[in-house]
Amino acid sequence: MTDLTAAALVLTVLLPAASALVVGAWVLLGDERPSERVTRNVIGAGLAGSLLAGLVVLAGFSGLAGAPVHGDVSYGDWLRIGDFYIPAVLRLDGISVTLSLFCASLTPLVARFSRTYLHKEPGFVRFFTLLGLFATGTQLVALAGALELFFAGWELIGISSAFFIGFFHERDEPVRSSVRAFATYRLADAGLLIATVATFELLGSARFSAFQGAADLPPSEATFLALLFLLSAMGKSAQLPFSGWLPRAMEGPTPSSALFYGAVSIHAGLFLLLRAWPILEPSLAARAVGVAVGLVTAVYAAAVVRVHTDAKGALAHATLAQVGLILAEICLGWTTLALAHLVCHALLRLGQYLRAPNTIHDTHRFGHAAHAPSRLERWSPRLAARLYAAALHRLRLDDRIDAAFGPVLAAARRLDRADRWLRRTATFDGEPS
Amino acid sequence: MTGARQHEGIADPIARAVDRAAGVLPGQGPIGVFVHHNTLHAFQHMPFHQGVQAGAAALGARPYLTLREFRAALQAGRVADADVRHEVARTLGADADGPVLPSLTRAALWHTLLTEACEPDDAAGLAFTIRIGAADESRDEPRWRACLSRVARGPAPRPPAGPPLRRHRDALVVLGAGDPDVPVHAELIRLGSGFLDQGQARAVMPRRDLGFLRAVAAMYADGASAPRACRGVDADLRQVHAQGLDAATVIRESLLALSVGGDEIEPFLFATTLALPGWAGMFSRLERHPADHPDGPPASLVDFVAVRLLLERRAIERACREARLPSPWPVLRALVPPPAPVPHVAAAALLWHVSRAAGLTPDEVTALPDDTLATLWRECGACSDVRRRQVFQDAYERTYRRTILDALAARRALPPAPDAASSPGARVQFVFCIDEREESIRRAIEEQHPGYVTYGVAGFFGVAIDYQGLYDREPTAHCPVVVTPGHEVHERPIYTELGWHRTRDRARQAWLWWERRALDASRTLRGGAGLSFLWGPVSAARTAARVVAPRSAMRVTGQVKAALAPRPSTRLSSLRADTDAVAPSSGKPMGFSLEESVDRVATTLTNIGLVRHFAPIVVILGHGSTSLNNPHESAHDCGACGGRRGGANARLFADMANRPDVRAGVRQRGIDIPPTTWFVGALHDTADDGVTYFDLDALPTRLATAFDEASTVLERARRENALERSRRFDDAPVDGTPDEALAHVEARAAHLAQPRPEYGHCTNAIAIVGRRELTRGLHFDRRAFLVSYDPTQDGDHRVLERILAAVGPVGAGISLEYYFSSVDNERFGCGTKLPHNVTGLIGVMDGHQSDLRTGLPRQMVELHEPMRLLLVVDAAPDALLTVAGRQAEVAELVTKHWVQLVSMHPSTGALAVFEDGRFVPYAPEPTLLPVVERSRDWHMRTRDFVPPALVRSALPERVVGFGHHPAPVLAEQVTA
Repeated sequence: MTDLTAAALVLTVLLPAASALVVGAWVLLGDERPSERVTRNVIGAGLAGSLLAGLVVLAGFSGLAGAPVHGDVSYGDWLRIGDFYIPAVLRLDGISVTLSLFCASLTPLVARFSRTYLHKEPGFVRFFTLLGLFATGTQLVALAGALELFFAGWELIGISSAFFIGFFHERDEPVRSSVRAFATYRLADAGLLIATVATFELLGSARFSAFQGAADLPPSEATFLALLFLLSAMGKSAQLPFSGWLPRAMEGPTPSSALFYGAVSIHAGLFLLLRAWPILEPSLAARAVGVAVGLVTAVYAAAVVRVHTDAKGALAHATLAQVGLILAEICLGWTTLALAHLVCHALLRLGQYLRAPNTIHDTHRFGHAAHAPSRLERWSPRLAARLYAAALHRLRLDDRIDAAFGPVLAAARRLDRADRWLRRTATFDGEPS
Repeated sequence: MTGARQHEGIADPIARAVDRAAGVLPGQGPIGVFVHHNTLHAFQHMPFHQGVQAGAAALGARPYLTLREFRAALQAGRVADADVRHEVARTLGADADGPVLPSLTRAALWHTLLTEACEPDDAAGLAFTIRIGAADESRDEPRWRACLSRVARGPAPRPPAGPPLRRHRDALVVLGAGDPDVPVHAELIRLGSGFLDQGQARAVMPRRDLGFLRAVAAMYADGASAPRACRGVDADLRQVHAQGLDAATVIRESLLALSVGGDEIEPFLFATTLALPGWAGMFSRLERHPADHPDGPPASLVDFVAVRLLLERRAIERACREARLPSPWPVLRALVPPPAPVPHVAAAALLWHVSRAAGLTPDEVTALPDDTLATLWRECGACSDVRRRQVFQDAYERTYRRTILDALAARRALPPAPDAASSPGARVQFVFCIDEREESIRRAIEEQHPGYVTYGVAGFFGVAIDYQGLYDREPTAHCPVVVTPGHEVHERPIYTELGWHRTRDRARQAWLWWERRALDASRTLRGGAGLSFLWGPVSAARTAARVVAPRSAMRVTGQVKAALAPRPSTRLSSLRADTDAVAPSSGKPMGFSLEESVDRVATTLTNIGLVRHFAPIVVILGHGSTSLNNPHESAHDCGACGGRRGGANARLFADMANRPDVRAGVRQRGIDIPPTTWFVGALHDTADDGVTYFDLDALPTRLATAFDEASTVLERARRENALERSRRFDDAPVDGTPDEALAHVEARAAHLAQPRPEYGHCTNAIAIVGRRELTRGLHFDRRAFLVSYDPTQDGDHRVLERILAAVGPVGAGISLEYYFSSVDNERFGCGTKLPHNVTGLIGVMDGHQSDLRTGLPRQMVELHEPMRLLLVVDAAPDALLTVAGRQAEVAELVTKHWVQLVSMHPSTGALAVFEDGRFVPYAPEPTLLPVVERSRDWHMRTRDFVPPALVRSALPERVVGFGHHPAPVLAEQVTA
């Protein structure tokens, strides 16, 4: 029985990866691009297989057939250089099984939606291939038994997410937004990468099962580690001050917005913290920072929702507010509540995102609600007006980050000018262009 | 440059530029009610070609399809080569035969330039394809080498003009500096959407009732921070606030700061106003139609431009500073280099194609004298890209026009039916909207028996009303947008249902209140958390059900609702017995008086020529469309009802026509509706092909059998209709049964993810005004508006005038909206639907912020063939001229060629096309039409367009004239 569970476990991860690989290889090597039908069937099979395997894992985990399987399931080494090795290990516990099943059931639903929604779209094949990659990423993040594998999944989520934002790359704005999201993700990645190395150094292993050892670390080291994890989570989950990319991420097709920013991707930072909880737990300083960041983000996002006039942007910030709350819950130590909140919240938002284009219809049904001035507006119109402006401009977060990176950008501009000068002076292939 | 007529009186260049721009900006109102109109309505006073070119230039859009698309149409046979030659000759007139080269006439040169891809836009790409031997030019290497060497010796062709330089931004982009529009638009969109919001956000922009400029200035005076790229604008706005400057002053000062003066002011400001056309257009639209947002703030285009210029000035200064460029406009503009010379490869490619057409040998090419080559370049330059596409457009339309006119002539050549259509033999009569989407269902009805007769009339059935349904919040106009209804009609529960109605309404209001609360609450901190736990899993299950099994989910919901809370029976308040009963809100008369009812019924029946031989059942069908997740839903509703559903109008008309006192009045006007006839109002849903009947409880029992027959006919017809529609959806099976097709279209309409619930007016191309006898049995592939009109009953052309006054503008509006949205879907249309994001309840943006997208989405126009409406009228040329003389708007559409008008003489059938200001007789090619037993046999062979065919079972008498083919002979022509 253990063998069956172990096999199902690895299939949960590998099936979507394999389906994305098949379609990808077809695109690269085939004479013509795969048809919509082939694409959606291959990827659909991968996603459905992943869900089935996930159910088998659930059965094994809960002991429906034979003894329950818990803890690490090892598949040998991913990489071995001398004494150094990276284990290929998946982990079975309450959190991982919940998250894995949760992602494995939402992704096929979104795939079914997209099959109709993206019909005849030039990027159809690209969309579904990315969906396969994304599913692999989420399964890795949910099931990884060590930080290295987790990091691989984290990267897959990041890269597919950036590509989804820039899906309509024939226009400028999606590309700009995609780059901004990608850059923010890289910052989060850097945090996670350093954290991985540091964990390995300090605890001797990057396995989650070794994280219990953090209790014995000196407080400064534990806090350092915890803060690194927190930083990664903040970037990935768009907590302040990294919230600027989230509304911009609404550039992609509606179902990808739903899956990423409503349901799964936005919560990835929280997955990380749930996983790294043993490291976070002893560090009260890091937890205090986490609670503060979460609550401030929640208040900020709730304020922005009030002034947001576009359906998807408002939803993005409504989501962000809850993500901030969940972050605070985790850092307060209420991990079970946080997990339940996370799953229920994602389920709620998924439907709301998918129905975002229906806003006008809904309003006709409900009728226009007369605007009632809030308490603040009655008490101090001036303060309310300032708050309105601040929320409308989203605190100019992007501008502030741009200003912080000003010198780098200036250098880039100088390089660009040099490049243009070179192109003007040099000719190509003897042919004046 | 454009539409300057009405603006010339304005002395101030600023006011003139903004006024001119206001005419060009998209006129689309808030998207909740979508009305099709000519996208370039401001240019309608100019001839078509001139107007589209001027309008496209002003908006930076394409006036026609691209040459590549036209050439593909030529390849596919959608344009005939003969028509291209014909139109080239017509355009060139007497110059056509002039020699350009000794062996090449001007017409031949133009034909080559039109049909062959001889001017590559990508010289490097061409050089590469030639090197690997994959280009056209590689087919004749010696010639290619000769051309290349000849071109290298000069003279060079004149390079095409670069992008127009009208504003700083144009120059900055060419010079490689940052685009100042990016930060300006980002800020402007946020401010503008907050200002115009109709209730999507919970907070309202403070002090927005002061107008845009003042509200924004006040916001900055309160301490809002400026965007980084527009630093300094906060101080400017504080100054505006402190000194109470008005928009004109602000604009003047901004222009001064940007060193734009004198003659440059107008073009600069015109282009600046058009730089964000969707939002600027919405400000302008709401300024002119304040009724579009009842509680909204005072919108003003000048305010918008003033705020824009304040931001733009600072952004330009910053962009110039960063790129080390000067910001005064004359200095900056002078820095832009002239357009690069045409690369040799490109010039050689042009010469290669032309020399082949002229039959020159490579040696002759090498020996071409300089002045001959210069002449050739000049001639090629005269046949510019736009000119070529203009000629192609004419040819494209001509090909289709010939097909249709030949088919009409062939149909007319059939022996006339022994008994006219509205003969005593009519078993059921169906009155539809003229909409081209109803062409197929009418055909499907007529195929079932010669006694099933259909009529077409503008879908408000002559009753222009403000209608308030049982659960509508307020009355809305159900009539063409040019008409203001004089009457209000309400739907009310019948007496015995009053109690149930009150209970149900209370429950419904409570439910909606909760639903709305929940929606709002889910976005707050506490509410979001609470609802996540309470509602999240349920909501996900519901979503899953609706995504996986949309049709069943919808059906189950409907059944549960009908079982628990059935809708109460209702009647319309159609009769105004008490002459001064008025609607409380509007003060309009409530319902129609007896004389008014008589007048409406008699007029509509006369219009369609249904004045005798009434069948026992006359079904009046309005139409509408239901779809989910579709901000453009209203664009699929009835255009003749102002973008709303026509069910209420059909119901009202039937109700009036059934009243004995009305019938008595109508009888006095010579229309004798027998007591054995009953009118039934109904609504045809063009998305799921459902049919809903109204007031069946009033149907006389003795007519039950007759009605059963009518409804059976419709049941069969709507299934056939679903099948015919399915063939155009790539993801629908074509080998299914009509029942399966019906299930398919029902699932489409119920699907949350469906961007194409129906194709709407896509592929519309023809409008035929005339007797149905002349077209019955012809397969028009859902492309023809069919308007019933009987010229034999219309001596003074008054009926024709009424019809053309309604049909001309509505049909042209739809056809031109589709034209523009498909020739340039990005500029005139609103691009792909997939990233659309509803904003402020007034429109959609792409993604998180973009211009407000107006026009039609790609998913609605992707099958469309953009051409002007072919309006064929069953009337003599002089009758048409008389009517056009009386109706200014029709005259403008016709004489400026925004529609193609064709006269089909009522007695002789002679065809005449209105061309270059007069009717030119058209001699139809003798055509043998393919004949099929049922239309399904014809259209289900392909998903593509099908040419006209004769449908034998729909012909009034079941014989077909000599010589027409049985269809299979032509099967290959269809699929080829």
